[in-house]
Amino acid sequence: MAYDPNNPMADRITDIGPPHYEQMFPPVIKNNYGKWLYHEILQPGVLVHVSETGDECYTVRVGSARLISIEHVRELCDIADKHCGGYLRFTTRNNVEFMVDSKAKVKPLLDDLASRGNKFPVGGTGAGVTNIVHTQGWVHCHTPATDASGVVKAVMDELFEYFTSMSLPAQVRIALACCLNMCGAVHASDIAILGIHRKPPMIDHDTITGVCELPLAIAACPLGAIKPAKATLANGDEIKTVSVNAERCMFCGNCYTMCPSMPLADPEGDGIAILVGGKVSNSKSAPKFSKLVIPYLPNHPPRWPEVVQSVKKILVAYAKNANKYERLGEWAERIGWEKFFEACDIPFTIKSIDDYRLAYNTWRTTTQFKFTSHVK
Amino acid sequence: MALSKDELKAAILKKAMESPKPQLYVKDFYACDPDTKPRDIKKAANELVTDGKMVFWSSGSTTMYAAKGRAKDESARGV
Amino acid sequence: MAKHATPLLDELEKGPWPSFVTDLKRQAEKSPQCWDILGQMELSYKDRITHWKHGGIVGVFGYGGGIVGRYSDSPDKFPGVAHFHTVRLNQPSSKFYRTDMLRKVCDIWEKRGSGMTNFHGSTGDLVLLGTTTDQLEPLFYQMTHELNWDLGGSGSNLRTPSCCLGKARCEYACYDTQAACYGLTMKYQDEIHRPAFPYKFKFKFSGCPNDCVASIARSDLSVIGTWRDDIRIDQAMVKKYMAGEIPAEGNAHGSRNWGKFDIQKEVINLCPTGCMSLDGGALKIDNANCTRCMHCINVMPRALRPGTDTGATILCGAKAPILEGAQFATMIIPFMKIDPENEFEELVELIEKIWDWWMEVGKNRERVGETMQRLGLPTFLEVMELDPLPQHVKEPRSNPYVFWKEEEVEGGWERNVKEFRKRHNM
Repeated sequence: MAYDPNNPMADRITDIGPPHYEQMFPPVIKNNYGKWLYHEILQPGVLVHVSETGDECYTVRVGSARLISIEHVRELCDIADKHCGGYLRFTTRNNVEFMVDSKAKVKPLLDDLASRGNKFPVGGTGAGVTNIVHTQGWVHCHTPATDASGVVKAVMDELFEYFTSMSLPAQVRIALACCLNMCGAVHASDIAILGIHRKPPMIDHDTITGVCELPLAIAACPLGAIKPAKATLANGDEIKTVSVNAERCMFCGNCYTMCPSMPLADPEGDGIAILVGGKVSNSKSAPKFSKLVIPYLPNHPPRWPEVVQSVKKILVAYAKNANKYERLGEWAERIGWEKFFEACDIPFTIKSIDDYRLAYNTWRTTTQFKFTSHVK
Repeated sequence: MALSKDELKAAILKKAMESPKPQLYVKDFYACDPDTKPRDIKKAANELVTDGKMVFWSSGSTTMYAAKGRAKDESARGV
Repeated sequence: MAKHATPLLDELEKGPWPSFVTDLKRQAEKSPQCWDILGQMELSYKDRITHWKHGGIVGVFGYGGGIVGRYSDSPDKFPGVAHFHTVRLNQPSSKFYRTDMLRKVCDIWEKRGSGMTNFHGSTGDLVLLGTTTDQLEPLFYQMTHELNWDLGGSGSNLRTPSCCLGKARCEYACYDTQAACYGLTMKYQDEIHRPAFPYKFKFKFSGCPNDCVASIARSDLSVIGTWRDDIRIDQAMVKKYMAGEIPAEGNAHGSRNWGKFDIQKEVINLCPTGCMSLDGGALKIDNANCTRCMHCINVMPRALRPGTDTGATILCGAKAPILEGAQFATMIIPFMKIDPENEFEELVELIEKIWDWWMEVGKNRERVGETMQRLGLPTFLEVMELDPLPQHVKEPRSNPYVFWKEEEVEGGWERNVKEFRKRHNM
């Protein structure tokens, strides 16, 4: 029975969850579940997994913009139907994986992908730059301080050779979040590109009564910078509203999330900060947070040249100086952050010295440091 | 003595209708019956939505409750 | 035929990486709303600011999650995106898809929305990007009736759980991440679809300490595979690695000449605990001192494998910076068997204990990691009825300000100051 708009509750089905994962598995995956012995990367973007049953699964990994159309998804399905028995998967970093069960099927798949323009770049494996996880930005978000898809496109165009090769000391995970909310959870990435606001919220007294619960807006501020206030409108009405102590504002935008009459986005105020040296894996060293090394770069659409060049500069310095297996943050810690700024030719600014909560943990409390050009 | 389910739902709805704030967090309903566990209060509040007496209001990251007709909605803001 | 000129966005059609602009234009030929996405986005590129508004009472009836309201602030210029809500579909565990199912999703979305998607959202959902309120109920009806496919979470709900690809195609998986993710997703459908908590709550399941879904960085409850017996060693394969017959780390460094593989330099010296050595050409591991970091296994996957007494370490309380600053998850339970046979009984018991506590004491919009920090790890462990372990901390506290309880002190706290004064003159 089809949906009946006059009786929307008829035959309602709820709380059934997602389709079971097993029905999505190609045979080679289903037959070897839990039986895999090892894997090897045959060339950038092409992996083989070998099972104790003797079966092999060849995977071709391709980049994707994440923001994709159903026409693009249908093309992915066409490729999977033609080569992979009608199955495919996506990685946590927005790559697409095509799997085949014999080596002979790899080359026709690669040829097919290459014949379709630049839509399906093969790579993203091993010690390279894989796809950038990112957020919505100007295409669909209400609180962004920058775009997401456009910045990612510009950065990946510049770093493309690192996506299609495995020449870095270790994998480099780049992530972008378009505001401090970080729904992209970029805070543990080798290189994090983070949208930031720098102007405190304006208060639209004319609309605040209609659209905001003032106590919610006041409670939303982590630093208690928002206080109840009164204002007189042009028509002489005195209304209850809020005021913002701008000196205490940390530009998080949490108030705007709760109260649309407190917009803070601004073409001149907004921009991008670069944080580096984070990691998630427990391999060798413990997971680390990314650290703020460039506090602000302007929003220059459509290709954000300052951001692209900064990311490239950091990546090139890392590629040149780090040891094999050393993640970006491990390298920075080994040489010392004072040396990191020198090696990357990034000016050190007072904005990199923490004055938020737990800041003291990052202050140097030893006489051990290296003399760099910073010390005059 | 904890309230019965119906008594609890009536108390939650009363609070949602009469509170000076139209939008309420689930926590605001805990006081409706200190003898009932938060999870059961949450279930009763969610049932009131299914009953059509309350609605969910969401910022995307946070969800709140409001008596039907009291919440502030984007479409009512003259979008 | 393009409805708006997009000179700035057109610049993003150049370059080797796939262009979302080219893709949007392609979709616009079928879904005219996409011209208005392009138009509004071009305006944002010109103005350097967003033109979206958010929030409100939008969703499918009875659900408080899965749909996020979105509205244009320039609906006169871009009527196609005036109301442009997001739909989150709960992705199948570890994101394998059958093309016939995907094609049906595309067909439904072509009819019911913009035709644009995210594969995938940050939390893991299959995101359908942009539709009007009147399409939500029919879309939900079609997804549930025709595809048996439900929405994911948003708001103050349990968010859509996610997992790494685990045993499906990884030799490191120490427990069945898909089974755990799917099992708990099904068990907690109510919590995913209807608000339940002071704020969002996330589960993420990784099969090994490499943590490919970043659960330690972003989930309130992080389940990371591990083992408690010995790393399995194949000495013959170790020798092959040492002889350079097998590329290190599965050839992950294949595009650069790093010289001949040196097991001392690349494995033994990089072991964080120094628990490895070479003894007459054989690799020795002092397993009692191993912290299971995965480095040696990552570098020599054909010689070394995790042990066979496998399970998971449970960590709690990770989050992105808003509001108190970013937190990694704190190790709570060193080892737990993760068993689909008993429906993850032990894990479920822990989850519900955490929820009961957090719902009671958590402030509005406070993640459980912040509640833990505000009330302290000792309080958390006591409420969870967990014995304190040295593994719970990196190091013991360095301040002496212990909050002793009266019952812990001999004779209690009641004392007679008059008796005291008899022995001690002022």
